[in-house]
Amino acid sequence: MAYNEPITELGEGTLVSKGTSFREITEIVSKVTEQKAPRGWWILFGISATFTAVLGATVGYLVWTGIGVWGNNSPVAWAWDITNFVWWIGIGHAGTLISAVLYLFRQYWRTAINRFSEAMTIFAVICALLFPTIHTGRPWFIYYPLPIPNSMNMWPNFKSPLLWDVFAVSTYFTVSLLFWYVGLIPDFATLRDRATHKVRRWIYGFLALGWRGSNRHWSNYERSYLILAALSTPLVLSVHSVVSFDFATSVEPGWHTTIFPPYFVAGAVFSGFAMVMTLLLIARTVYGLHDLVRIRHLELMNKIMLTTGSLVGYAYAMEFFIAWYSGNPYERYVFINRATGDYWWAYWSMITCNVISPQLFWFKKLRRSIPVMFVVSIIINIGMWFERFVIIVTSLHNDYLPSAWGNFSPTLFDITTFLGSLGLFFTAFLLFLRWMPMIAIAEVKMVIPEADPHYHPEGGHGHDGSPHQMDEEHDAATAEATPKAKADEEEE
Amino acid sequence: MSKRLPFSLPTVGDDRPPIWRTLDQKRAPEKAALEATEEKGVQAPNLVQTDSLVSRRRFMQVGGATAAAVGLSGCLRRPVEQILPYTRAPEYSLPGMPLHFATAVSHRGEAFGLLVESHEGRPTKIEGNPEHPASAGATDAALQASILDLYDPDRPGKLYRGAGESREAATWADFDAWWREKADALGAGEGLRVLVPPTDSPSFMRARAAFMQRFPQARVHTWSAVGADAARGGAEQAFGQRLDALVDYARARVVLAADCDFLGNEPRANRAQRLFAEGRRITGPGDEMNRLYAVEGTLSLTGMSADHRLRLAPSQVDRYLRALAARLASEGVSLPGGVGEAVRGVTVEGVPVEWVNAVAADLMENRGRSAVVVGSGQPAHVHALAHAINAGLGNLGTTVQLFPVVDAEASDSLASLTELVTAMRGGDVDTLFVFGGNPVYDGPGDVDFAGAMGSVETVVRLGTHDDETSRAAAWFLPMAHPLESWGDHRSIDGTLSVQQPLIAPLRGGRSDAEMMALLGGIRAWRGYHLVRNTLREQVGAAGLDRTWRAALHRGVVPGLAPVSPATGGLTGDVAGALRENAPASAEGWEAVFIPSYQTGDGAQANNAWMLELPDPVTKIVWDNAAYVSPESARQLGVETGDMLTVSREGAGEVTIPAFILPGHADQVVTLPLGYGRTAAGRHGNEVGFDVNPARSSDGLGFARVTVRKASGTHEVVQTQDHHSMEGRPLAIDANLAQYREQPNFAQWREPTPSTSPLWTQVDYSEPLYPAQGGKSYSLVPEALPPREGAPPRYKWAMAIDLTTCTGCSACVIACQAENNIPIVGKFQVAMGREMHWMRLDRYFIGDDENEPQVALQPVACQHCEEAPCENVCPVAATVHTPEGLNVMAYNRCIGTRYCMNNCPYKVRRFNFLDFHGEVPELKKMQHNPNVTVRMRGVIEKCSYCVQRIQTARIHARTETTVDSDGEIHERRIQDGEVTPACAQACASEALIFGDLNDTESRVHRWVHMDRQYKLLASVGAQPRTTYVGKIRNPNPEMV
Repeated sequence: MAYNEPITELGEGTLVSKGTSFREITEIVSKVTEQKAPRGWWILFGISATFTAVLGATVGYLVWTGIGVWGNNSPVAWAWDITNFVWWIGIGHAGTLISAVLYLFRQYWRTAINRFSEAMTIFAVICALLFPTIHTGRPWFIYYPLPIPNSMNMWPNFKSPLLWDVFAVSTYFTVSLLFWYVGLIPDFATLRDRATHKVRRWIYGFLALGWRGSNRHWSNYERSYLILAALSTPLVLSVHSVVSFDFATSVEPGWHTTIFPPYFVAGAVFSGFAMVMTLLLIARTVYGLHDLVRIRHLELMNKIMLTTGSLVGYAYAMEFFIAWYSGNPYERYVFINRATGDYWWAYWSMITCNVISPQLFWFKKLRRSIPVMFVVSIIINIGMWFERFVIIVTSLHNDYLPSAWGNFSPTLFDITTFLGSLGLFFTAFLLFLRWMPMIAIAEVKMVIPEADPHYHPEGGHGHDGSPHQMDEEHDAATAEATPKAKADEEEE
Repeated sequence: MSKRLPFSLPTVGDDRPPIWRTLDQKRAPEKAALEATEEKGVQAPNLVQTDSLVSRRRFMQVGGATAAAVGLSGCLRRPVEQILPYTRAPEYSLPGMPLHFATAVSHRGEAFGLLVESHEGRPTKIEGNPEHPASAGATDAALQASILDLYDPDRPGKLYRGAGESREAATWADFDAWWREKADALGAGEGLRVLVPPTDSPSFMRARAAFMQRFPQARVHTWSAVGADAARGGAEQAFGQRLDALVDYARARVVLAADCDFLGNEPRANRAQRLFAEGRRITGPGDEMNRLYAVEGTLSLTGMSADHRLRLAPSQVDRYLRALAARLASEGVSLPGGVGEAVRGVTVEGVPVEWVNAVAADLMENRGRSAVVVGSGQPAHVHALAHAINAGLGNLGTTVQLFPVVDAEASDSLASLTELVTAMRGGDVDTLFVFGGNPVYDGPGDVDFAGAMGSVETVVRLGTHDDETSRAAAWFLPMAHPLESWGDHRSIDGTLSVQQPLIAPLRGGRSDAEMMALLGGIRAWRGYHLVRNTLREQVGAAGLDRTWRAALHRGVVPGLAPVSPATGGLTGDVAGALRENAPASAEGWEAVFIPSYQTGDGAQANNAWMLELPDPVTKIVWDNAAYVSPESARQLGVETGDMLTVSREGAGEVTIPAFILPGHADQVVTLPLGYGRTAAGRHGNEVGFDVNPARSSDGLGFARVTVRKASGTHEVVQTQDHHSMEGRPLAIDANLAQYREQPNFAQWREPTPSTSPLWTQVDYSEPLYPAQGGKSYSLVPEALPPREGAPPRYKWAMAIDLTTCTGCSACVIACQAENNIPIVGKFQVAMGREMHWMRLDRYFIGDDENEPQVALQPVACQHCEEAPCENVCPVAATVHTPEGLNVMAYNRCIGTRYCMNNCPYKVRRFNFLDFHGEVPELKKMQHNPNVTVRMRGVIEKCSYCVQRIQTARIHARTETTVDSDGEIHERRIQDGEVTPACAQACASEALIFGDLNDTESRVHRWVHMDRQYKLLASVGAQPRTTYVGKIRNPNPEMV
């Protein structure tokens, strides 16, 4: 049996539409970076760039004037700033999970989405890092938490979870970036080789680090990729665990909870997959990637979302149970207050979006329906934002001393900062789509049947090598699934 | 002092240079070096060392960096700042060492001795003078804040002549010339009138006498919106003369306060608070404590501290007291003045019967050791009735002492104003001097002072501000602040104090006594001479110098015989007065006018600290509101913030937002005075609502009104908007009987955890500091080397006695003044960004909205041993000192606000914006130079006034001695040497601070009190601040 052949007994299916050749794969992916951007790209880019400009203006005003332009107050000293931070970090989680963990587990279906999700990770972590930086009262001293030798003979406080955050997130960012880049090298080389313009060839050539596709290159590449995957795997657990320590190690009721690390990791995977899904569906439609990103991939992702969504739901229930079971009156109050207090709407939005909406994926029909999964993925992202909001704001606003209770309401600048960070994310992402191979060409090629040395096409040896009519097809109807992909999916 | 070590310069050795350039050089280095030196003019090579601190490479680095830095610094144009030394240093002035001067002010009807801290000639902080009986070292919030009035940038710095369009700036010389001319034309002074606030200044009285002598036909009128006239009128009815009562609350075991906020708004409240706390303080189950009954319509500071509180419309207090008197008489108390007959059979409806019977029994049980006190808002005959009850109970001369009014010529303020206004209207006044006060604003609604001013040819106004009255005057003269001018004040008990200026008038003003002396033609009218000459009249020329100096030094003129209280029984016809004034019916709405706890009658309306001080009862800031009971609000169909129109027949109406206050009497609306100013200044203008239009001259205290809902709403901002403790053990209290049964009741409710943490904890009781060889728990080496002879370690701590805390909030303002705490404004408070380091939590206890018990709890940083804030700071900006203080390093803070989240007490404050950015230059002079002014983006919080600890330490260190064996002994800071600003201001002495390692200290005793507990002990932060449970003393028959 061929190495790449799906084990149908295990419910596996083909990962690339049948009959998609090596050349076609290269074409589909590389073409996007070589042709003029479609109109949709320009529209999206225009919107995103505008929001990025709004972000720039907001941050400028914020740094000039002070954190007071946001709605943060006493007792709600953290609000949308840290909500956004944790949300973005969570989104940035899927990247490593897909690239590293699924890689180590030999989940070949990851090849269609790993580049995508890694890029998403990088940009999400950039957005996430923005928030702890600008949310400090004096961002010009943001280097104080770094253990830099200094004339004050001061070390940072190694007991502080915020400091652990600094290390965890920066490590995560570095490793994710390296992982992403290493994976890109063979594809950059492909783009370089296809380049017709000198500048383009020079840039991709520079990025490809002299890749020639020799055996030794491949061997080193595989080895380093494996090592990086092994290095990143613990990070999948560590980053969000450490982020959850910000809350779990505090004394605040509603924060001081041992369930936080696994619960945060599950939530992060959940929101990360949802964000990948949202982006993927758009790109798949705009660029016609139906042959490479198949319903099968999407369905598998939906299953993961169903799993993690249920884990998160379990965590919500368990938090309530422990609040009751612990007998701690402060803890009990916080949870009752979450569900029935001033922010009940946030809590129930969170439950609806995160726990109820993914349950739709129990149904095969819904889990394979593009519109359903698109809407649900957005709902999940909204829900996960509310989860962080609920954890942060409802715990802080009514904690120990009722005399110090207060409420939080966002200002215009809270909103523009958040929307602006979305703008920054999408701007970066759109640029990625435009200039980089959004699907790992080399890796996808490995999972098509033809990649198997023992591959025997039906009706004889070898590849017919006849030129395909892919180009016209894709240009004409980018929004439509290719007949091949359609046929495949129906077959499944 | 620099802690930098001197650079360790390498010594120049005569070793062979280890570097060589040629073989010649290596073999004969001296020669080669000489040659090289001669050739190229370089240094002799034996000065060049490879192990030098500065290598060539390093030099280039540093040099390059310096060049870059110099280049960068060229980008900024820095303002030229000159540092000028004193060419002739002022006496005693050592830069960095504050001086304290004794002075005095007249404050809310009382002469008040002060000690004022002055830094390099700038007064920065007001404290009470411990030697002055009115203060005994404490101050109230308003006095604490009055330092800010000195630096009010809205005080005009020049004179104005003419009103309205024709107004122009003038000088004192212009005015003096005008007055000389005018004085000659005035003759005997027909048509010349002066309006002044009540005075307690002998110099002013002397000047006034001189004025009256010069202008026999002139008149001096008195007006004050809030005063003691009704009480004095009551004394007149009872004793035939106007007297002021001084109640010894320390001796009184039972106090009945009938619409009398003696702990808050009544004159002499500070003294009352101290004495009341003395009678209430309880240090063990065996101790006795006093009992306070409060009968009032509006929840007040006194009502919050009461053991029993009866909510009753002020108009019904009369009837209640009559019923009480009737009960007392029927129980055999002989009430003088025929009162017993006059009140026979009076009952009061709607008041629980025990409020008459049990209270009467309690009073009778404590004959001679009780007091019935009546508030200024009640009419004279109610005061007279109280005097009769006190006389019947034998309290006169024991707990209630009566003293002649300091100003013997003081007349009834309202009558005086009405007379003046009538004369003005009648055209009998052509020159009117208005000193101080603000009658255009605070005159009653039916006395149209502003209108009457139009009929006066020339109004000369001496005022601190260009306020409502000043704007309508022909002349405006700036008035000096009491800290800028000479004066004197006589207290009710005869204590005389000299008011000495700490600074030359910042805005060039004169005092009212000076102006009066000028009008009176006294040649030596300048304050210094005026006051000194007045003192000469009192103590004689012999020894004047010594007395004068002693008076300035101590703040109290020594050697004066104390005024003895008036003796003689109650001789007046109180019964007649009672018959004449039948008790009012309870029909319809009534309005109560109270001075607000923040701005008083409006005098401090431009004082931003006071505007931002949460009202002790309602917690409202930057506003006043009409308080109504929950039931009345339902009737009116209003919520807090909905507008109400209150109109008084014959006066006017006001539209003001409603505020639902638990414990308020039904069908009563409380209107706090002192807001809604239109010409107060940058802070006070258009803040709150002016209620004076609805205040008529026949109802200054309370009056029948109609109340209806008006359209619109107004945002009323409170610093605390949740009023229940949610059943949590926070401000823990017990009744006296429960306390005796279970002295450690507080530990039952909030036990101190008995399990210790898993890690080694710092032992602050260990006598050695880490630097002295004690164990260090720090990652970094201790900064200071061990000091020989240093005293054992201190362990600073605070105890807070909830039993005596009245919630007056003097501590809040004292802290603000001491620690350079900014104000943030109404909008920012609404956002939850107030900056007070000390806050007063006020909780209502019980389900009945109408009969809430009140628990008060001052909360500042608890200085936890295991501080949750410290662990979470990523940059170690908040850390522990070896003495156990939790301190902030502001310049290390980057403002993550994590500490603020993780503080269970929520006492950390964050500079969300640059709150100090818009402080006027003048206001900056108030800043305490020993406390960092925080920039935006950093966290701040209570430091236990660490600057005061350091000052005491420096002081103690200067007294280091060396004994005969050559051993160095540094003096230990004694108990009481360090007092944080809050504790110093507290008249109740409810805040106790000191060193726990000193087992003899007061704080040690309080911290180990049986009913002590730590706030939120279950969290495990191990606070250093200890609370001592509140004890209430209810009457067992009324529980």
